[in-house]
Amino acid sequence: MTQYAIRRALTIVPVLLGVSILVFSFVHMIPGDPALAMLGERATPEKVAEVRQRLGLDRPIYQQYIIYLGKVVQGDFGISIVRGDPVAKDLLRRFPATVELATSAILLALLFGIPIGIVSAVWRNSWMDSASRVWALVGVSMPIFWLGVMLAWFFGVQLGWLPTGFRLDSATEYRPWTNFVVLDALLNGSWGVVRDALRHLLLPAIALATIPLAVIARMTRASMLEVLSREYIRTAEAKGLPQVSVILRHALGNALLPVMTVVGLQVGRLLAGAILTETIFSWPGIGLWVYEAIGSRDYAIVQGASLFIAVIFVTVNLVTDLLYAVADPRIKYD
Amino acid sequence: MRFGRVILVVAAALLLGSAAPALAQTFVFGAQGEPVQFDPAVITDGISSRIIRQVYDTLYQFKAGSTEVEPALAEKADVSADGKVWTLQLRRNVKFHDGEPLDANAVVWNIERWMKTSHPQHANQLKAGQTFEYFEGQFGGFDDKSIIAKVEAASSHTVRITLKQPQAPFLQNLAMFPFGIASPKAVEKWGTDYGKHPVGTGAYKFVEWKPNQEVVLEPNPDYWETKAKNKRVVVRNIKDNSQRLAALKAGEVHAMEGVNPDDVRVIRADPNLQVLLRPTNTTGYVAFNYKVKEFQKKEVRQAIAHAINKKAIVDALYGGTGLVASQFQPPPLWGHNKELKDFEYSPSKAQDLMKQAGFGQGLSQITWEDGKQEPLSFWYMPVSRPYYPNPKEIAEAMAADLGKVGIKVQLQTVEWAVYLDKRKNGQLPLYMLGWTGDNGDPDNFVCYFFCNPGAAREGFYSNKPLADLLLRAATLTTQSERARLYRQAEQMIHDDVARVFIANNQPPLGFSKKVKGYVPSPLGDERFNTVEVQ
Repeated sequence: MTQYAIRRALTIVPVLLGVSILVFSFVHMIPGDPALAMLGERATPEKVAEVRQRLGLDRPIYQQYIIYLGKVVQGDFGISIVRGDPVAKDLLRRFPATVELATSAILLALLFGIPIGIVSAVWRNSWMDSASRVWALVGVSMPIFWLGVMLAWFFGVQLGWLPTGFRLDSATEYRPWTNFVVLDALLNGSWGVVRDALRHLLLPAIALATIPLAVIARMTRASMLEVLSREYIRTAEAKGLPQVSVILRHALGNALLPVMTVVGLQVGRLLAGAILTETIFSWPGIGLWVYEAIGSRDYAIVQGASLFIAVIFVTVNLVTDLLYAVADPRIKYD
Repeated sequence: MRFGRVILVVAAALLLGSAAPALAQTFVFGAQGEPVQFDPAVITDGISSRIIRQVYDTLYQFKAGSTEVEPALAEKADVSADGKVWTLQLRRNVKFHDGEPLDANAVVWNIERWMKTSHPQHANQLKAGQTFEYFEGQFGGFDDKSIIAKVEAASSHTVRITLKQPQAPFLQNLAMFPFGIASPKAVEKWGTDYGKHPVGTGAYKFVEWKPNQEVVLEPNPDYWETKAKNKRVVVRNIKDNSQRLAALKAGEVHAMEGVNPDDVRVIRADPNLQVLLRPTNTTGYVAFNYKVKEFQKKEVRQAIAHAINKKAIVDALYGGTGLVASQFQPPPLWGHNKELKDFEYSPSKAQDLMKQAGFGQGLSQITWEDGKQEPLSFWYMPVSRPYYPNPKEIAEAMAADLGKVGIKVQLQTVEWAVYLDKRKNGQLPLYMLGWTGDNGDPDNFVCYFFCNPGAAREGFYSNKPLADLLLRAATLTTQSERARLYRQAEQMIHDDVARVFIANNQPPLGFSKKVKGYVPSPLGDERFNTVEVQ
């Protein structure tokens, strides 16, 4: 197991190297001179040349890449072209907001997705099954951007129940410690801040959870249906075990393995979805930061954040792989 | 069941405090994005400049809602007869937010910092990749290139600035936000990090910047002018226009910029909200490439000017905030020519002109000077700009108008940076672009485009008499004489159909009706100290 874990972890290196080449090339392949995009209508040829030199864009692309990679290895993701701040520092400062949102979304998706999948499978072809399948289809097809805007308009503007954006109200006093607002407030026992933070978290988390929820519900249903048709389930039922026990203890445990894979993959989608959700809800995480950086062509931020997200993505998939062994003792890694 | 109850209880707890916390006397402004930093000398973006306007004062300032200037930190300014020596008398008893006095030494220190690349607080910024872009643009460059020959403290509160040659818009330039006077002590204390710890003499002190969220300001109790009428200012960063509007409707912000043209009607229809317009300072135009043989014929350019129904475009696509443009300078500028008679919308006249030019059968193919032929493409920008809020729709409307008189164009666009690149290299045959003024001076509007005859950037347009006239106007110090020359320049541009000017826009701002005392500025130069939230 340990050997497998190390071997598996080492495969991350070429993957990340590939990602870094891809990200670097894509960003540089976007048509148009970033210096010109930054200067806009007021650009003069001298100014453009000066900015190109300042950004190192006048060097051959392979040189730019080698310099970049050398720095990344040392944890230096470069300096923001627009703001002049170190990218790595800003990444770490914004990361907790994204993690808080993504974690809430995945929890919501699990909390509702798995029960919906179970109900759907157990009462197959009932109205509940049809409703949940329709809901799952709608959820998967729903554009996050549209859903986010609708949620904010309905609950924020029409009903006035929840805020339309941000992590906290402007008037809420909060001293960051870990930058996980809910966690900090809980540790401080500031219940007012906890409530305010949760109110702000709810709508973006729902928007972000919609697709994973639908996917998890569908996967749970399919997996449960397969398990429920197995002979050991029939044996358990024949033994006269209560249905709840059969479903939750015997069926669900075995049905969860494929669901775990899906959850692992959804984490990547959550990070991508966060760009839209954070923009709609002015959520100060990595997504909003990247969105603004793309607009201002801040190469350093786009590259740094993409690479960082790739690291998270492959790490989560590695952890998911390793967790298989915990979930299913029959799995052995040699 | 138990699970359902838990959900209900949590939901109720969340919703129970749904009333927004008291924001009384806090003015919350919804900005379009994240500021860059707050060192006025090095920033160029509008979002940072909004904060800078509140924290700093300039020596002269723009009057509220106007492009005219009035004394600010300098109580008065005298200029020598040859227009080269300016003597500025500073206001007394003004202090920076850190308690340091505002005196002639502080002002000289600031100007030398902007001007001299060897100044320690200039050199360190250059090393950090920053540039003093506005100073370079407005005052000719740095060190020996600068139009400023010398700056000195003539007494404790008198600053003398000697120029190498007269500069007509000198006070206008000094009134621009990049020339906010910073506390020398604070700049020296923070070095390149100063932009995160701004210290000026303005109506507000900087309190806090929460990245990607908001900037918080509090009133300066010792302010020399109108003291703030609110207790706190919060500028929130809401990138998405629709979400900013949602926040305004939900009462989470009191004001917003970046209103979509279609949303102007939404705000006007809401009994709790109102729209205020910034006086126009922006012009959208259609430009020709003079390497295209067909556009070298004046009749073709005139035909295009007569063919476009500007009023219909402005009425339909500017959300009620646009004005038909007759010339380059918008009406509030003092160089605007009120006498100028615009080309009227007349498809029949346009058709006659096309016949005279030899294109009675229509025009769909163009020939470049090098003999290359291609279909006539009409380029529109891929991004919304203040002068063209809906570029694609506006381009479609213009293409339809041109089609009616036999000019068949193919609409084209490309990524914004590429668009600007193609324009810079003179590769666009017929294209849309525009300009937003920086300081209310006509020179800033017209000279950039017409002072370099034959420039590729301007479609190789060459009009030497026009350029000479504009260069002369820039060195005169009598405004009435300058105004006469700029009016004459507008007439020359019109007579030669150098461009077709389409619209001036009055950028809309959305407000809660609780807000009183906000005066929109044509330069986006609003100060929040007069704003009350009732």
